[in-house]
Amino acid sequence: MILLRLISWPYARKHLLRSILTTAGIVLGVALFVGMHTANRSVLGAFNRTVDRIAGSTELQVSAGESGFDEEILERVQAQPEVRIAVPVIEAPVETGLKGQGNLLILAVDMTGDRGLRNYDFEGDDVIDDPLVFLAQPDSLIVSREFADRNGLRLQSKLSMSTMNGPRRFTIRGLMKTGGLASAFGGNLAIMDIYAAQQVFGRGRKFDRIDLAVKEGVTVEQCRAALEKLLGPGFEVGPPGSRGSQFESIVKVFSISSAMSSAFALFIGLFIIYNSFSIAVTERRKEIGILRALGATRGRIRNLFLSEGAAAGIFGSLAGLAAGVLIAKGLSRYVSGLLVDIYSVGERSDEITIDPGLLAWAFAIGVATSVLASFLPARSAARVDPVQALQKGRLQVLSAGENRIRRWLAVTLVAICAACLTLGGSRPVFYVGFFSVIVASLLFTPSLSLWMARALRPALQWMRPIEGALAADSLIQAPRRTSATVTALMMSLAMVIAFNGLAVASYDSIVEWLDSTFNPDLFVNTNRTLGARSFHFPAVIGEQLSAIDGIQTVQGVRTLRVTFRGTPILLVSADLRGIARHTVNPRAVAGDYREMHRLAGEGKGAVVAENLAMLHKLGLGSEVEIASPGGVLRLPVVGVLRDFSDQLGTIFIDTSVYLKYWNDDTVDIFRVYLKKSASAEIVKGRIQERFAGERRLFVLMNTEIKDYVIRLTDQWFAMTHVQTAVAVLVAILGIVNTLTVSIGDRRREIGVLRAVGALNAQVRHTIWMEALAVAFIGLVLGMLLGAVNLYYQLDIVQRDISGLVVAYRFPFMASLWLVPVMLASAFLAALWPGEAAVRSSLVEALEYE
Amino acid sequence: MKCARAKPGLLSSYLIDIAGVSKQFQGKRTVTALDSVTLRIERGDMVSIVGPSGSGKSTLLNLIGGLDRPSSGEIRIDGQAIAALSDDDLTRLRRDKIGFIFQFFNLLPSLNCIENVSLPLHLKGWPRKKVRERARQLLEMVQLGHRVDHLPDELSGGERQRVAIARALVFDAPILLADEPTGNLDSATGAEILGLIHDLHRNLGATIVIVTHDADVARSCIRTIALRDAKVVSDERRL
Repeated sequence: MILLRLISWPYARKHLLRSILTTAGIVLGVALFVGMHTANRSVLGAFNRTVDRIAGSTELQVSAGESGFDEEILERVQAQPEVRIAVPVIEAPVETGLKGQGNLLILAVDMTGDRGLRNYDFEGDDVIDDPLVFLAQPDSLIVSREFADRNGLRLQSKLSMSTMNGPRRFTIRGLMKTGGLASAFGGNLAIMDIYAAQQVFGRGRKFDRIDLAVKEGVTVEQCRAALEKLLGPGFEVGPPGSRGSQFESIVKVFSISSAMSSAFALFIGLFIIYNSFSIAVTERRKEIGILRALGATRGRIRNLFLSEGAAAGIFGSLAGLAAGVLIAKGLSRYVSGLLVDIYSVGERSDEITIDPGLLAWAFAIGVATSVLASFLPARSAARVDPVQALQKGRLQVLSAGENRIRRWLAVTLVAICAACLTLGGSRPVFYVGFFSVIVASLLFTPSLSLWMARALRPALQWMRPIEGALAADSLIQAPRRTSATVTALMMSLAMVIAFNGLAVASYDSIVEWLDSTFNPDLFVNTNRTLGARSFHFPAVIGEQLSAIDGIQTVQGVRTLRVTFRGTPILLVSADLRGIARHTVNPRAVAGDYREMHRLAGEGKGAVVAENLAMLHKLGLGSEVEIASPGGVLRLPVVGVLRDFSDQLGTIFIDTSVYLKYWNDDTVDIFRVYLKKSASAEIVKGRIQERFAGERRLFVLMNTEIKDYVIRLTDQWFAMTHVQTAVAVLVAILGIVNTLTVSIGDRRREIGVLRAVGALNAQVRHTIWMEALAVAFIGLVLGMLLGAVNLYYQLDIVQRDISGLVVAYRFPFMASLWLVPVMLASAFLAALWPGEAAVRSSLVEALEYE
Repeated sequence: MKCARAKPGLLSSYLIDIAGVSKQFQGKRTVTALDSVTLRIERGDMVSIVGPSGSGKSTLLNLIGGLDRPSSGEIRIDGQAIAALSDDDLTRLRRDKIGFIFQFFNLLPSLNCIENVSLPLHLKGWPRKKVRERARQLLEMVQLGHRVDHLPDELSGGERQRVAIARALVFDAPILLADEPTGNLDSATGAEILGLIHDLHRNLGATIVIVTHDADVARSCIRTIALRDAKVVSDERRL
């Protein structure tokens, strides 16, 4: 501890900027880790809070998934002796249309009974003293005081909303005090009469769920068992909190992606710390030599540097935690937006959920990473020869040296990886192969850097005989010094390439899928986006659409989330035979395309998406079992298709089957094919004119739908931009560090160069060329490892994340872009070290050691 | 014999003209390494600078060589005042007019003999072919024609110093500055290197300034300047 105060602290203070750079890697890693996980947890936390606040004293909820259920179910539940009170609920997020307000959660209830479960805490008693007054006016809305204040609304203010019966103006007839129920959904909550909501959302005579409380003397479990027996497997009966677990499994796919990004950032941070500590050891050789001469043991020196690593880890982690919380604030809005668009589950997460356990875990990871990264430099420091360190004219280049054992170990691991690829099959074998190839590449990097530097020397020398040769020689002389940065660059680029490769491959597959199946001329939807499913069309709209001039075929599609083997997947019901007839270049993963649609169309089977088949090990003939309000639907799998509708999987059934089991003839989207002579623009106008003021309806052109899907994919892969930014940051930090060590190691060499006539520009050139050479080597190795990494990442996505199968395609364009980006980053990184080299004292350099 | 001292500031025909030069190093405590030193070195002279450690001899050599700048006073090299020169102009002056020979040779370990000698030529932008010819010629002159492709690590101390001398001569610089050229060599090799330096003085007419602790080396020079406590305390010329 005394050495830390006497030796380390003055050094850190003297090199403040570098000390900050050293911890930057850990700050970045911890910040991303905390930011991404906190954002996900905040969205999940906000969802649970909303569920909790809306639940009031609800003990159990009855639902039948997204489809809802008939009104008569309510009477059956209310009649159950274990139930004290049961009230119907419709709950749906809608766009407010108010700038910056996003969605408003409509909680539609039956006011006559609902107050027995929920405390509305109204301001004044003027509204609900007589619930019948509220009910008698179907345009009534009660909003939270918070929402009203934000939007300048008062009692009797009008609020326009687009309903299934066209645009309607609602009147604010009540305000809820801030807090409790009113603060659900970030305060963006409105209460509506449930029978009015059925009209507004096109729910027919259906409710979304029933909230209930059990009778005194009856346990919740007893009541639950009785209701499950009464309603059958198509209904879910559970406490309000269980809704969170479904939401959690939807968020999970996104969480995995976030976890990978933050782990990657931390991993890169490890190399940055390693490099920075290598600098410290190089610069402080003399100091170490003196300490050793004065009696400090090797162990003491090693512990001193490990303690410095721990200190850097502690400061870096603390800063990372703070930065992570800030990142989480921005990111949680993005995550909630993404979840609304992709999964149609919305949540406003204005407040973030800080989990002390997560913070403690992130802190521990940050410190451990830092200590681990300082281990090798600490060992080098312990090995400093005091005689050489103190001897004038002797230079002990600590970062020099190569290890044959490492190379052999790398070769062995490559052999293991090849064996794993040959054996294939099981998950452990696959991951052993992946792990082996990554570790092998890490072990090989010093040798590969060395060989590449040697190969580059003639080219660099040809460009600039002295500056080029010295730049290459600097890399050749100290492969370990270079290899830390090259490794960091290689790893980050390998991740960037893998992510970009995933994106490119996904885009290609998605475009192919869109071209094949999304070929109707127009799509008529209840929302501007495909994901939102708050509103439903009555079936009659289909007939009305068919009657419009220019329309040849109309196909109604109903999509809803159902639980399959504990996972919320997408169920799509449509006229499958009709869809098959219009599919361009039909291709099936398993089964005959036409035949599977014929069988499914006759209600003799279900078609499943390839990712569902992958994740749940389904094949032709496997039985899928889905609980519905009309009983358990069991169908054999008659075909498997490549489909990207949902990351958790999709099952396609015929409309007739859906109608039978769900007793629901509503439609989410109409696929409209036009007559050959008809113009899409003109027909779109006709549809809008036909339903103007009468129906909530959006007509989207084929290109708009495709653009929407591509935009969603863009959002999903927005993380690749973060990865690229991290890679650039790594390049800059790593190269600045490497060059600083290099200049330290080559102080005398640079001094000699200047003494014998090198102009300042020529000295700068040698530093710049070294930086560019490091970046070039990192680029080449990063692309090679990226190509391998992409192969494994595609397999990981397929095996363990979404089951989506996408073809391998190396991202050539992204890789080409990386070349100028990384070289420019290297050049930027070399500017400051270049100046440092030029401005250093020539006399001191020549007398160095 | 005492040498005449010129008045500071006068333009002279002396190759090295130092007038009232002081050098202070700033730190927690200011250290004066040279205190108002004035001296002139004629073209073709061979001067040794002697004095105890810390007397300022290396500082004086660094200032003459343009490796450092004085805190006050004026230095002229071949009539050109170096104070007003930019970094790059000073480098050009150093490259064209001054050759350095260091105690620790200061060869670049990654470059072979011919590349080390070629270094200043490349830096000046000579054509590659001409560079190689000139470097080879110089290596042959210092009797290392058979070692052109060897790395410094593969050479003896004396051979390394020969390479360093060859490098110092690439531009036929009129001034050769040597900082303890024999300090890192055994006595036989030291004598050999000293002999080579004398040959260069004789045959090329170079002006040579040697900083040394070695009394034999100092005695072998025509003129010896002694420094003590940052001042010139004696300046003797042997006939």
